[in-house]
Amino acid sequence: MALHLNLLHEEFQEQRQRQRDPLKIGMMVLGGLGAIMFIYYMWNAYQTLGIRRQLNVVQESWSKVEPNVTAAQKRSKELNGIISTTKVLDGIIESRFYWAPFLEKLSRCVAPNAQLTSVDGAVLEDNRGVSVMIEGLAAGREPRAAAEELRQLLLEQLGQSYHDVKIEFKTLEDLDTLAKIGGANMAMARFALSVTFNPSNPAKVAPPAPARSKK
Amino acid sequence: MKSLLSNLSPNKDQIQKLALSTIGFIVLVYVYFSFFLGPLTRSHDSMLVKISDLQSKLGSAKAEMTKASNLEKQASVATSRYAALTSLSPEGAPIAWFPPRMKLFFANLQIDKTTTRLEGNLPYKEADLSGWMRYTWMLDLPQADFDVLGKAVAELENTEALLSINKINIHALPSDPQFQQVSLSVSTAILKR
Repeated sequence: MALHLNLLHEEFQEQRQRQRDPLKIGMMVLGGLGAIMFIYYMWNAYQTLGIRRQLNVVQESWSKVEPNVTAAQKRSKELNGIISTTKVLDGIIESRFYWAPFLEKLSRCVAPNAQLTSVDGAVLEDNRGVSVMIEGLAAGREPRAAAEELRQLLLEQLGQSYHDVKIEFKTLEDLDTLAKIGGANMAMARFALSVTFNPSNPAKVAPPAPARSKK
Repeated sequence: MKSLLSNLSPNKDQIQKLALSTIGFIVLVYVYFSFFLGPLTRSHDSMLVKISDLQSKLGSAKAEMTKASNLEKQASVATSRYAALTSLSPEGAPIAWFPPRMKLFFANLQIDKTTTRLEGNLPYKEADLSGWMRYTWMLDLPQADFDVLGKAVAELENTEALLSINKINIHALPSDPQFQQVSLSVSTAILKR
């Protein structure tokens, strides 16, 4: 066996130690990692730039559309307000009670031997109905019958247009005075009628004015 | 053998360098994520959120504009009706223009000496009528023929859409039974100006 002498063992050891230097290896690892991280960062930055460009395009489109949309929204709100206000106003208009048709019916019920002295009518709160107080005079051989005839006729006439019609005498009394009708003296009676009804289906348009005048 | 083991095991200097390298690595990772990749990712995410938000806004904007255009067509009747109703309320205080209007109205129907008094005004309870006020007036017609009165009431109810007669009092004049003394309590919806 040949004798092998290593005369440079110290140099070899130093070289091995330099190769195993942890700081150097760590720096190399760090450098490698740093490079990978840098590449990854750059890739992300590139993607972000792409997204930024996309965002700019979308923002530009939005800035073009936004004023129109805002105007459209404002107009929609305004129109909705107009529609709902008109609807409520129409409701108020349609729920009104029309007095002209009532006055016409009343005038048609008054016979020549009757005279109305006062009519006081009121629409009850929340359109719950109409209340009318009618006072007048009736003349005839049977003045009370003449007053009752008026009540019956009024009940029939109002019943054609309104619901829950109630007409009752509040007072009906004979008078001492006489009235001359057609050249003959007739007895007279004073009456007061309380009229209540529900105009659940009021006439939309008032008809022409009454044809006959109040006696 | 012993010398081989002593060669492989790190000495003190090497351990220090190893520790330094580890600290450097941790610092690098921290700096990278906190100051470079983190903000970039946040900006990236926020931009994506913005894009999605704007795209949904653009989508809904188109629908909104179509809706507004359809509504404009549908509301044409309501807008013209609303314009007609608002035209019944002229500019100025109602006390200044309503009584003369009533006086002229009844004078045109041969009922003279009409007086109109303001009884009060109230806002409407309905939210949709926040721009409107309810005025109550008392109209006194000292002398009216029943025929003419009937025509006048019919005309009033037909022409003044926002006016409703709440109370009516007709009394025969003792001095002249041909004529009646009439008072009307009316309420009107008037646009606030």
